[in-house]
Formats: sequence, structure tokens, C-alpha cells
Amino acid sequence: MTETNVADKPKTQFKVKDYKSDTKPIWCPGCGDFGVLASLYQALAKLNLPSHEVAIISGIGCSSRLPGYVATYGFNAVHGRILPIATGVKMASPEITVIGTGGDGDGFSIGMGHVPHAARRNVDMTYIVMDNEIYGLTKGQLSPTAHVGDVTKTSAYGSIERPVEPVDLMINVGASFVARANAGDPKQMADLIVQAIQHKGFAFIDALSPCRTFRGIEQKKFINANTFKVEDHDHDPSDKRKALDIADSQEGISTGLLYVEERPPYDELYKDLRDRATQKPVPEIQDILQRYIP
Amino acid sequence: MERNDIVIGMAGSGGDGVVSAGEILVSAGASEGVHAFMLKSFGPQIRGGESSCRVRLSGKQIQSHGDQVQVLGIFSWNDFKQFRGEMHLNDPVVIVMDSADKTSKDDIPIDEDIDRIIYEVPIAQLAKDKAGTLQAKNMVMLGVLSELFGLPDEGLRDAIRKKFKKKDQEVIDSNLKAMEAGATYVRDEIDKTDEVKFSFTPAEPKVLMEGNEAFAYGALYAGCRFSAGYPITPSSEIMEWMGRELPKYDGTMLQSEDELAAIGMVIGAAFAGKKAMTATSGAGISLMSEQIGLASMAELPLVIMNVQRTGPSTGIPTKTEQADLQQALYGTHGDANRVVIAPADVEDCFDVAVQAFYISEKYQIPVIVLSDQYLGQRKETFDQDALFQSDNGFMKTIKREVPTGEDLEDYKRFKFTESGVSPMAYPGIEKGMYQAAGLEHGEHGLPTSDVDMHAKMTEKRFRKNKVIAEELNFVRFYGPEDAEVGVIGWGSSKGAIKEAIQRLNDDGYPVSAAVPQILMPFPQEKLEKYLEPLNTVYVAEMSYSGQFYKYLKGFLRFGDRELKKYARSGAAPFDVSEIYNTVKQEFE
Ligand SMILES: Cc1ncc(C[n+]2csc(CCOP(=O)(O)OP(=O)(O)O)c2C)c(N)n1
Ligand code: SF4
Ligand SMILES: [Mg+2]
Repeated sequence: MTETNVADKPKTQFKVKDYKSDTKPIWCPGCGDFGVLASLYQALAKLNLPSHEVAIISGIGCSSRLPGYVATYGFNAVHGRILPIATGVKMASPEITVIGTGGDGDGFSIGMGHVPHAARRNVDMTYIVMDNEIYGLTKGQLSPTAHVGDVTKTSAYGSIERPVEPVDLMINVGASFVARANAGDPKQMADLIVQAIQHKGFAFIDALSPCRTFRGIEQKKFINANTFKVEDHDHDPSDKRKALDIADSQEGISTGLLYVEERPPYDELYKDLRDRATQKPVPEIQDILQRYIP
Repeated sequence: MERNDIVIGMAGSGGDGVVSAGEILVSAGASEGVHAFMLKSFGPQIRGGESSCRVRLSGKQIQSHGDQVQVLGIFSWNDFKQFRGEMHLNDPVVIVMDSADKTSKDDIPIDEDIDRIIYEVPIAQLAKDKAGTLQAKNMVMLGVLSELFGLPDEGLRDAIRKKFKKKDQEVIDSNLKAMEAGATYVRDEIDKTDEVKFSFTPAEPKVLMEGNEAFAYGALYAGCRFSAGYPITPSSEIMEWMGRELPKYDGTMLQSEDELAAIGMVIGAAFAGKKAMTATSGAGISLMSEQIGLASMAELPLVIMNVQRTGPSTGIPTKTEQADLQQALYGTHGDANRVVIAPADVEDCFDVAVQAFYISEKYQIPVIVLSDQYLGQRKETFDQDALFQSDNGFMKTIKREVPTGEDLEDYKRFKFTESGVSPMAYPGIEKGMYQAAGLEHGEHGLPTSDVDMHAKMTEKRFRKNKVIAEELNFVRFYGPEDAEVGVIGWGSSKGAIKEAIQRLNDDGYPVSAAVPQILMPFPQEKLEKYLEPLNTVYVAEMSYSGQFYKYLKGFLRFGDRELKKYARSGAAPFDVSEIYNTVKQEFE
């Protein structure tokens, strides 16, 4: 049987280089964000997504420079507004793959007000936070994910604040996909990004991405020494309680897919809403005027 | 005296149905082809507090809520007190009051110099006896007013039927009975001693709309299919309207978690290629300012409606003011270019919405529309064929210019062009990939900190203004061209200004007025020319600090002309007589 027709014509297979922009990253040597970027290229190539159908939205921070290095559509917006802008893009164009990338300060300090809302709405997007527990771009101030006792430029006597726990937070506010990954493990990171993009709904990845300049080599060493993979622990990510348990494991920092749940995403729910709104005949726009003539 | 222009005020507590009586009255007027206008005002309570309304009915085109209230319908004097400051009474004033209110004649809370004719009617009693419910008090009042002053009673009955059409026939009947009871009482018991009598010639029914509705409708008409907002008085009606209508036309309305998110979502949708808008007021516009700058920098088309309320801070959420002008013009850091337009009446809210989308899409720029509570929440009539035509003949809709063919070979999102406008791609367009940013950038969109590039890009963003000003520079002019005394105002003050000028001209005073619709870019040439014959110029605005006055001084050379500021804080819109009396002083 010779059934070669147009539909079977081999599709273009995109390669990593197709996703690289001409701009060289400004990150410091050794910055964890390189690992996240490399993994993102891998993931996009694996999914074979046409560049023009992907939009990467970021805020402000070292990590938020990322969209400039990817040859897709990008939006390096303002500090803390990744999620609303990404929501706008996705709801305006559901066919576009939307990815948000930013820092811990961007997401969990100035942008925190948006986090639960994007999560509970289940906006169909991937949100990668490059969590270095520091403000990199502004050169080393205290971050909301820093630990008690951490000395930074604005916590000269050590932080006295309990940190935000991104993974617990996200599970609790209704993210339907929650993962944590080590930027120093590109394979794990790329795999998780692939799954996150494929997931229908709000997918969050807490990317442990060390800041060489303001956290020193120790931060990277600490991450490498203390992370373990949940796959090795027979973890069931559909179990919310277990997910919360393993998120806070005493054995170290759990990485991998911690929690996942099937739930209709915001754009699909909105489509249903439109179906309900159009059950009765819809007048021509010009004729709406008649409603206002008593 | 027969008159074809009447202003009726009513005050009571929430349960008295003052506002719905007003709505029925304007609706009745509109259906009989009478020009109608209604302002409502509330005390601070969420439900059931004092409320008042002012209704003006006229046989001729009207521009404002009118002047002093000639007829006052009172359910309770105590509730009226709250509105004393904003309800200016005619001398003499005719009062219809519920005799259930036992306030003694000497204690009636109106200025003692004002002559009054009072009709006491057992309104509550009649409602209870004839309609079986106190809820029908407002209908009794309508019956009384209609019979006493010759209001369009057939229209009233129609309006009542329509208002309750979703309820049982019983409800309609009881309301009609209540109205009839009021009218009968007047015929049987009242000896009319006042001279107010409304006369009108029925004509084709008019459209009756609120400014917020007209704006939302205009946006939909212009092709807006995305809107996000966070509720805030007095702009919420816009997002409510959008929430009902947009989904029917394949659009989206999102209620965001705050105004930071509202404008963020709109920016996202605009970046994604949709015509998008948000509407807000007061605190909300302050929260949006950072991202207005982002839209400026990333050259994103979007429309931001600010239905101004009394400020600063929480101010008086339910009242009007024109004191967000400077914020609209300059709010946000940096040299952030934007367009500012101000609708002047309800029908103009529709036109301005269409124009705002036209400008924003064509020139890729945020457009701020400055309405206010007085405009957004009042009801006003206009002719049926008026909506799809505009006063300046501008009613075009447009699609955003996207890059094609050659542009896409080496796509420069921020390409230098003569007009400053560069074709704009959006996700989904092949080869159009670029990075939008709040960072300064070169033609491709890549970040730069280069001094020359910043100079060039800033100049590019502002270059658009010249072209915009050529295309849109609408200014409304009133009065004789050679007048030596002039008034300049903006936005919702147009009504009182126009009417004051007409009255001054009728009384033989040569006065003119100019009301620019677009405020930025500044309609320089037209206003310069307007100034030429003038010796004295009044700048009238509801801003204590005179924001418009200061703005004009930046653009216009007044030379020897006397420049007079008529700037006062808002909360109450201008009365016609206020402008009239101020300007008339010139001739005394
Ligand atoms: C409204 C506002 N406030 C402050 C800043 C300054 N600022 C820029 S980036 C940043 C924090 C960056 O930290 P993070 O988000 O963790 O990103 P990182 O650089 O560590 O990747 C701050 C405070 C800003 N750009 N905007
Ligand atoms: S400062 Fe830290 S986060 Fe920023 S680029 Fe350098 S290493 Fe990376
Ligand atoms: Mg950080």
C-alpha cells in the first residue's frame, strides 16, 4: 500500500539550535540559569514546537532575561507581572504555548498576589521559577525564599523571616502540576519541562538554580548534595497528602514530579461559558441598540 | 406657565424606590420622544440608605442635568438633607411630600429665602390602601407628579409595564393602580396653585443609555474582544456589561485579582493580537500606572478607561471630579507617550470608544479615556440615528498593521519609520518572533543601554503624536466666532458650558467656548486659532488645583489676554447657572 499523501509528509524536526536566539546570555559564569535555558531548548525541540507558536513571558531579574535567549515570541515585562500577562496571552490565544519564567523575588515577593489566582484558575501554562534564594539582578538582597539566618546585603544580621516554600504553596493554592528540579541536572529539568508543557493546566516548576555570584559555590554544592529524586521513592504524584509530605521530606530536597491533578484549564472552561452565553440567539452588534430604546 | 423643560428632584430612603421612579420617568420620556436626563446619587450605605435622583425632561436637545430643581418629590426630609449640597432649588420650588413625614413646615431643610408651594399627599397611605404594599409609594409619587405637571402619563404606564414585565401581571396591576391613585388624589383633592406645567410634542422614541454602557458598547462595536477588570465604583458597569456581552461574540472578560493584574492581562492580550481594554477609577488607575508605561515602551495598543471619581485616595467613590487629568497625561515614570481623550456626553462615550481603539490599534499606543461618574452613571437620551455617527464624523474601525512578506525576512518589530509606527507581529505569525520589553531596545527588540538608541527610540515613540494630531484633533466650539470672552473646558463639563453659552448668547452676551475632545496630543492649532479674538479666557474645570488650567498654560501663549481660572473641587457637576453667572460678571 502506498499511502503517502500530504498529511504524511514528514514534518520539520526542529533542533535545539532552532530555538537559540542570536543574543548571548549576560549571566555570570556558573549561574544556574544556564542549565534551565539549556533544558528549555531541549524540551522545546523534543516537543517539536514551532517557535512562532510559543510565547515566553518573564518579569524582571537575572532569570527574567531568559526569553531574550530563545527564538520564540518573548515578553520581558515588568517585575512581578508574569502571571497576569501570561494569562492574557493564553486567554487571547489558547492555541499558543505559554511559558512564564522568572525569579523567586519576582514570583514570591512582588508578584505573589497573582500566584494563587493563576493556579486556582488553572491557566494552561508552564511557570518556571529560577529559585536562587536571592535577588540577583539588584546584586544580592534578601529574597522571600531565603532561610532564617541567611546573611545578605539587606539582612546584615541574618534573616529573621520564615521563608516561602514554593512547592507547598503551589500545591495548596491549586496548581495542577507541581515539580521541583535541579538546574544542575539538565536531563531531569528537560523531562519535567516537557511534561509541564504537555500538562493541560497550570504547571509549576521550582527550579533550584544557584546564584554563583551572591550565594557562592556553596549553594550549588548544597543543592547537589541534598537533593533526591521522588521516582526513587515510589512516589504517587496524584496523592496530594503524599505530595505535601515528600515536599517537606526530612531526608533532603525532593525533586521530580511531586503533584499532578487532572482539571479542566481556564480557557476550556471559558469556552464552555461562551457556549452557554450563545445558547439564545445573539443579535448583530448594531442591533444591541434596540435594547436601549424604550 | 407652560414649559417644555422641567427638572424634578426626588429624595428618600433606599426602600422608597426613588431611583427606580426616576428611571421609569426618563424611560417614559424617551419612549415619547422627549429628551431626558437623569442623575442619581446615593448616601454611603450599600443598601437601603438615602438616595436621590434628578430628572430633566425637555422638548429640546439638552446638555446637562439642568439647573435648579423646580419640582421636588420628598418621601422623607431627613433623607433629603444628605443631598442638600448638590440639589440646588429653584425659587420658587414646588414640593410634593408624603404627609406621613411630620417635619413641621418651619423645619423643612431648605434655604429659608426660597419660596415654596407645598402639596402634601398621603403617599404611603395610598400605596397601602390602593396597591396593598408600601413598595408602591414611588408609583403613587409618579402618579401625583404626572397629574400635577403634565408628564407623559401614557409613557409612564408603558414604562411601568416594561419594568415589571418579568413579574406577575398582579405586580404590574398593583403598580399601575398605585400610579392611578396618585393621579386621582390630585384631581379630587388638590387645588393646583403653582404654575409649572410640562408640555411636549410626542416624537419618535429616543435611545436612553448610561455613559458606561455607551462606552462598553462602543468598544464591542470597535472590535474589542478582550477585557479584564477589577470592580470599582463608578466604573464597574463597564466590566459587568463586557462580562455579559463579550462571551456572546467570541470574546473574553476576566475579573482579575487586582488592577495590577487587570492591566497585565490586557497587555498580554494586546501582545497576543487582540483589541483589548480595561476600565477602572480612582485607586485602580494609580495601581495601573507602572504598566501603562510598559505599554508605552513596548508600543502595545490598548485602551484604558478611567471613570473618574472624587479623590484623592478613596475620596467619594460615588461622586464625580476631573482631577485625574495630570495622572492621565503624565502618570508613570519616564517619558511615556500615550493618548488621552475625553468623551463629552453619553453618546460621545460610544464615539470615543471607537476612536480610542482606532488610535491605539493604528498607532500602537496606550489610549487613556477620561470619563467621570457624572458621565458614566447618568442616563441620557439621544436620537436613534446618532449612535453610529459621531460629532466629528469619525467612526472608523481598523485592524492592526501586521508585518508581511519582506518585513518578515529580517523582522524588525521596532523598525524606524516615518510615522513612528512599525508593523506589529503577534504569537502565531510565522517569522514574526520578537521580544517585547519594558527595557529600552533596538529595532529588533533586543535590550540596549546605548545612549543614541535611547534617544532615537524615544523620538520614534513620540513621532507618532504628529500623525495622530493630524488625524484627530477634534474640538467642539460654541458661540460666535468673534466673541471676546471665551470659556475652555473639557470632558463632561461640556454640557453645562454649552448650555451656559447658549443662554448667554440668547441674553445678548457675546461669549464663545471650546471643548477639546482629544487632550493629548494637544490640538494646538485649533485652540491657538480659537484664542485669537479673545480678550478674556475662562478655564472651567472640576479640579481644585486647576490641572487643566496649568496644562493649557504649557501649550498656549495667552499674551495680554486675561486668563481666569474657574477651578473648583468636584463631587457635584457644574450647574449651567454657575458657568453663566461666572462669565456674565465680565459684562457688569
Ligand atoms: C517595581 C519594581 N521594584 C523593584 C525593582 C528592582 N528589581 C529588579 S529585579 C529585582 C529582584 C530580582 O530578584 P529575583 O526576582 O529573585 O530574580 P533574580 O535576579 O534572582 O533571577 C528587583 C527588586 C523593579 N524592577 N521593579
Ligand atoms: S547574579 Fe547570580 S543569578 Fe544573576 S546572573 Fe549572576 S549568578 Fe546568575
Ligand atoms: Mg532570585
